[in-house]
Amino acid sequence: MSYFGFDNPIDLESEKRKFLESGGQGSREDIAVYTWGEQGYDGLGDELHEGGDELNDETFGGVGEVGKDFDFSHTVLPSDDLPQAAPSRAQQARPQVYEQPPSQPVQSSAASRPTHSLESVWDDKSPFSVLGRMNGASRSTEPHHPSHTPSPSQSFKFSPFSATSNEPLPAGQPLGGISSGLSKGAYTLEEVEAEMRAQAALQHQQQQQQQIAQPTSLTHTQMRAQIPRQGTPQHAASPPPRMHPHSQSPRFHQQQQQHQIHLMHVQQQQQERQLLDLARHRERQKLLQEQQLLQQQQQQQIMEQLRLEEIERARQIRLQQMQSANHMHSPLLHQRQSPALSERHPRSVGRQSPAIMGGVGALGGAPLEVPLQQSLAYMPHDIQLQQRLLAEMAQAEFLNSMQGGPQSEREIREERELQEMLRAEAMRKIMEAERSDQKRRRKQGKIQHMSRYNDLMTQSDKDFITRIQVSQLVTQDPYADDFYAQVYGAIIRSRMGIQTQDDRILKFGSGAGVGLGPGQKGSGRRPSAMQRMEAQVERIVNNAKMREKEKISLNSLQGALGKTSGRSYKAAPRQLLQVDASSPSPSPAHAHISKVDEEPRKDGMSAAHEAAKIGHQALGGAANSEGVIAKDPLKHREALMILERLYDLVLDIEQLRRDQPLPEDGFEAQDAWEVELDARVQQLLTGLRLHVYLETSVPHPFISLLMPIKGKRLLPRVVRHLPSERILTMLTLIIACFHQVDVVVNSPKLDTLEESKERAEVEQHSEVFLSSLVQSVLPAIGKLDLSMLTGLLGMLFKHNDVAAVARTPPGIALLTMFLSRVQNIKEAIASVPMTTAEPELPDPIDERRWQEVFDELFNVLAPGLLLLFPSIRISKNSGGSVPYGKVPGTDDMDQPIWQFLAAMAVHSSMEQQQYLVTALRELVLENVSSVRRGFLASEEEREKRMGNVDIFMRALGLDSSQIAV
Amino acid sequence: MDPASSGIQEPFDLIRLSLSERVFVKLRGDRELTGVLHAYDGHMNLILSDVEETIVIVEHADGVPEGQATVNVAKRKVDMLFVRGDGVILVSPPSRT
Repeated sequence: MSYFGFDNPIDLESEKRKFLESGGQGSREDIAVYTWGEQGYDGLGDELHEGGDELNDETFGGVGEVGKDFDFSHTVLPSDDLPQAAPSRAQQARPQVYEQPPSQPVQSSAASRPTHSLESVWDDKSPFSVLGRMNGASRSTEPHHPSHTPSPSQSFKFSPFSATSNEPLPAGQPLGGISSGLSKGAYTLEEVEAEMRAQAALQHQQQQQQQIAQPTSLTHTQMRAQIPRQGTPQHAASPPPRMHPHSQSPRFHQQQQQHQIHLMHVQQQQQERQLLDLARHRERQKLLQEQQLLQQQQQQQIMEQLRLEEIERARQIRLQQMQSANHMHSPLLHQRQSPALSERHPRSVGRQSPAIMGGVGALGGAPLEVPLQQSLAYMPHDIQLQQRLLAEMAQAEFLNSMQGGPQSEREIREERELQEMLRAEAMRKIMEAERSDQKRRRKQGKIQHMSRYNDLMTQSDKDFITRIQVSQLVTQDPYADDFYAQVYGAIIRSRMGIQTQDDRILKFGSGAGVGLGPGQKGSGRRPSAMQRMEAQVERIVNNAKMREKEKISLNSLQGALGKTSGRSYKAAPRQLLQVDASSPSPSPAHAHISKVDEEPRKDGMSAAHEAAKIGHQALGGAANSEGVIAKDPLKHREALMILERLYDLVLDIEQLRRDQPLPEDGFEAQDAWEVELDARVQQLLTGLRLHVYLETSVPHPFISLLMPIKGKRLLPRVVRHLPSERILTMLTLIIACFHQVDVVVNSPKLDTLEESKERAEVEQHSEVFLSSLVQSVLPAIGKLDLSMLTGLLGMLFKHNDVAAVARTPPGIALLTMFLSRVQNIKEAIASVPMTTAEPELPDPIDERRWQEVFDELFNVLAPGLLLLFPSIRISKNSGGSVPYGKVPGTDDMDQPIWQFLAAMAVHSSMEQQQYLVTALRELVLENVSSVRRGFLASEEEREKRMGNVDIFMRALGLDSSQIAV
Repeated sequence: MDPASSGIQEPFDLIRLSLSERVFVKLRGDRELTGVLHAYDGHMNLILSDVEETIVIVEHADGVPEGQATVNVAKRKVDMLFVRGDGVILVSPPSRT
């Protein structure tokens, strides 16, 4: 039955059907086929047939790779049992079948096995099978099926069966193919299943044997070979460890691995918990059951060991996993588990959902490699370990029970103690390990957290920002711009005893630079960072300079032919404001106060005023005979203005001194610098008005400048820059005009206990004046010779009321300074032969004159000797309400006076000393008695008071201890 | 003396003269300060030490006619004070006798 000479399997089918219907009588078959063909054909069958075949192999196990590989062509089962339509023909066909399957490879047989066997399965002679086809649902309907005259011989000749069997069937047996098909394929579902099970069981057994033989060295290839044929899954229960079926499908295998790991973790945890519980429980029972305890402890020990090993193992696993996570290159594995995740939660692998794992397993064989090998690497070992330990434990217990009896009590106790110790040791180690592990993990986490934003910026980004920042720091005058930090740093450094290298400045050639701030305190990372910063800054600045040079060289190209490109953004900003440059602003830094004229103005009103004065004085007589133009004293505001100017000058000079050119800069620079400095110093001197005649005004302009507190503060700063003869001039001026100084004038205000703003102010001024005087001028006294001292003291007498001066703290300080200097000189004279270093030996005339002046001083002070003491003055001013000795701060106040009196006593003659003692006797006695009788509360006060008295007494060659109260 | 010749060119020069002097500062909100001026800037921010602040509080009681409100004066002392310039009404050296 062929159309256009093509053979067609349906022909066979129709033949078969015809045969079945007709019971083997071929005479009627034509009609049936014809009818069927015409009615049933709807055109769809063609497509159905073409499309449906492809999956057949897989569905029915034709493909080798599918696990349920029942070979339908297999004929192991007796086909005889099956109901057969034509047993005789089946018998005939059988030999073919037998010889076919073994000769054919599985694949090829599967491929070449068409639908016939299937059809034969369906073909169960029931009328329904026919009906189904009549309905057009059949796959076997062929578009050109209806051949009116099917010729069996033809059909058999081209039948696929003949191709399949490679043996042309005899023409006389048209149904041989059918019978063979039946014999091959007519298995029931139950049978199929049974066979599959049997096969799987067989394989399973084989593999298990294999595994037992070589449990760890199961190679990957073996695994792969086994995988396709793996049998039924066994997820129901986890098998005993040794019997773990490695022969399962990768998906289940993996699942189980994960499951097992998880289980193991759980077990581990449980064990740990149990151990702890056990330990606690046993502590309680210890005393009661020693024997039992011994066993248990040993057991425990072993368990501890087990635990230790387990911890160790867990760490190894984690390590492995981390490593493997790091080494995984397959994208699939990354999909499965990102390395970061595995690193962070190394333990969590075991808890991942099996679906994820399985999914990968199903995707392909390759990615299985790592997990499989990994698990294979540790699992058997793991299990072995556990078993070994369990065995040991059991053994130990057994031994214990054996030995336990004969052991003496003491031995047991000793052993127990030993074990206790060991246990404690082990416990400690475990804890330590756990702690360090935890610490490490926390540290890692912290580092990870900190490095979240690492490398967000490139190096060039960082450089760029550094450049911007540094460019803000570079100034033309790093020291002055960083002045306070520099000074502070210098102070700190000197306090810490670090030898000060010069200023903490990074200079770049032409003055520009960066202040580095005060020196670093701590060592460590910071200094190196600072050094790096310095290097970087230097580089940046140098680069900038290079660019600058480049620009200059570019400018030098001006007028040259050709095109040169400049950087427009480097151009200076356009000037928008037109400021009158002629307006006087000499120093840009201090433009507020312009130059204050050194000389008083001769303008208008004040000039007339002075002229009038000149006239008045000329009329008035010889008061200002030397032609001194007396002027009004400086007003407060004028003094302030001059002071501001002077401060500017001082700052200029200070800056100038810092900028002193180095010797290698050449003589010209040095000379120029000196000239400038001299000019400034000269300005300063004129500004201080030291050369203005004494009689010019009262107070003297210089003293007027000392009125404001900042004027007083200016003294020490000015003195540093003045030559010594100028300092002497200043000293002379101060001595001559001492009574004019506001502090001296206002000093009576200090002699009261009333708290007032005025008093506080005077006190402050007094303190400031004293300290600045001590810092500036008084050291000059220490260099004076006797004649000079005598002259100065004489001058003091000439211009001042010495008694009043001596009642002021600065006055006392001044006088004490004089006396002590003279004392020094006298001592030097006494030791003349030894100290030839003293160049100017005072001649006797000087000495005599000094003595005269001193006598005068003594005589002036003698009447009011007690009034020199501030405490007594205060007591007196209070009207007796505050007796002497009750004035707060008496001792501090009076100390300078005691010192001064001591100095007086040293210079005094015998009569003078006697006078001193007589005058001060009462005071001394009162002081001593107040101390001895305990009127003074604090030890400190007592010591001070006695110290004060002793200062004076010792100068007289006495001691307070000699005084009997 | 005319201001130009005395070296005073701008108002701030007058304030500069009072550096490290005691000054009187009037502030908004009925406050007054006296203290030693240590520093100032173009915003008239001031740094004063040893400051006494005087705050005038005028209380209008209900039912009391206008002009009869009670005036309280609160004083306090501060060692060191930074005065923000936007509150400064005037700065002057204290009156001298």
